[in-house]
Amino acid sequence: MLSLLKRYRRPLLVGILLLYPLAAFLVSGRRGRDPNFIDRGVIALTAPVQQGLTATIDGAVAAVRNYLDLRGVRQENDALHLENLQLRSTVQVLGETRAENGRLRKLLAYAEAVPGPEVPARVVGVNPVAKLLSVRISSGEQDGVFRGMSVVTPDGIVGQVIRATGGYADVALVTDPQSRVAVRVQRSRARGTAAGAGNGPLTLENMLRTEDVEDGDLIITSGTDGIYPPGLVVGRVTHLEKKEHGMFQRADILPAVDTSRLEEVLVVGSPYSAMAPGATAEGSQK
Amino acid sequence: MKFLVTVGIALALLTLESVLVQQAGLVLGRVDVTVVLVAFLALRASLVEGALSAFAVGYLLDLMSGQPTGLFTFLAVLTFLAGRLVSTFVDVRGAVSFALFAMGADLGHGLLSAFFTWLTLKDGITAPLLSGMPLQVALTGLAALGLYPLFKRFETAQDRQPGLLR
Repeated sequence: MLSLLKRYRRPLLVGILLLYPLAAFLVSGRRGRDPNFIDRGVIALTAPVQQGLTATIDGAVAAVRNYLDLRGVRQENDALHLENLQLRSTVQVLGETRAENGRLRKLLAYAEAVPGPEVPARVVGVNPVAKLLSVRISSGEQDGVFRGMSVVTPDGIVGQVIRATGGYADVALVTDPQSRVAVRVQRSRARGTAAGAGNGPLTLENMLRTEDVEDGDLIITSGTDGIYPPGLVVGRVTHLEKKEHGMFQRADILPAVDTSRLEEVLVVGSPYSAMAPGATAEGSQK
Repeated sequence: MKFLVTVGIALALLTLESVLVQQAGLVLGRVDVTVVLVAFLALRASLVEGALSAFAVGYLLDLMSGQPTGLFTFLAVLTFLAGRLVSTFVDVRGAVSFALFAMGADLGHGLLSAFFTWLTLKDGITAPLLSGMPLQVALTGLAALGLYPLFKRFETAQDRQPGLLR
């Protein structure tokens, strides 16, 4: 037996190298596994290099842009001065509205759903595998970023944290084919699901044919998935298909955020561990 | 030593690619630098050394993907073994023939990746992966053209025999 093992040790070793990861894949499937100490070590080694490279390239691009921008800065300054005056008057009006809103909320004993801390982060790299559309950001467990938290920009939602280590986290984008987000139409409050379909528009699913939705409608998160806070912009409805038969209507959603050109993001919401036991996970990476 | 050099090159290439893809804004059109490396291993490395290196390279790719499942580790070893088999039938010497060889390897790797992704996705949406593949294979071929001299240089440095003055 021992001599047989010795004789075939090379093919055996190669067989193990081939079949062990296959078995791991078939067992864990699309869920993947949590990072172990080797994973964390490799990420700790590569992520700072990614960050350094990104900073170098950004620095070079910014230097060129700054030079070009300086040429038209006087005209722009005048225009901004005028815009600033307009904005200040708008802010005063909004301040009044905000105070009124606060009084009314108090009157109605409305408890605003606080999604948790907001952590700013910078995108340092893109996942080199096309199978899963994800990016790596420069904030991790040390900064209060954990798996399950949502990632947004001022324009709208970006995705969800799927893995966090020391100072870095990986974020699966909403455009990824495995992504599902619980959404509603802002105008009519009709509910549905936004599904990722690779690079490009999202798909509006599970929207009943009788629901009121039109081309150009703004789609926002409904918050019912327990992942994304309610009211965040997802995108706008395009290519609405209302068929004569069937239960649901279908549409494309043009994402509000161009996920291929991300730079700075904000991590918000609660991690999986902080979710209530009864919370649903409709809007999650499946 | 060769194993460590291979892992180091893979790590550097993946990190560089990840940043460049982010800067260029390419989402689906990726360059499979690891497949180029595995293709080179299939041509030049011994069975065990190559399989171990391919395993390590695949693991790194899995790790960079954000959701390590083992799929890319398996595919890297499989691509290495298939490449070794194919290399007994074809003669790959210059940069151009290596680029064609790497493109073939990338096509096989991509199709298998799409197949296994289809197996594990609930809705089985693989159209985005397949539609981006021609560009990905072409970019990988270009990368192979550029990387071939680099790999050859590393290989020569590794194979240098220790002498009196070294």
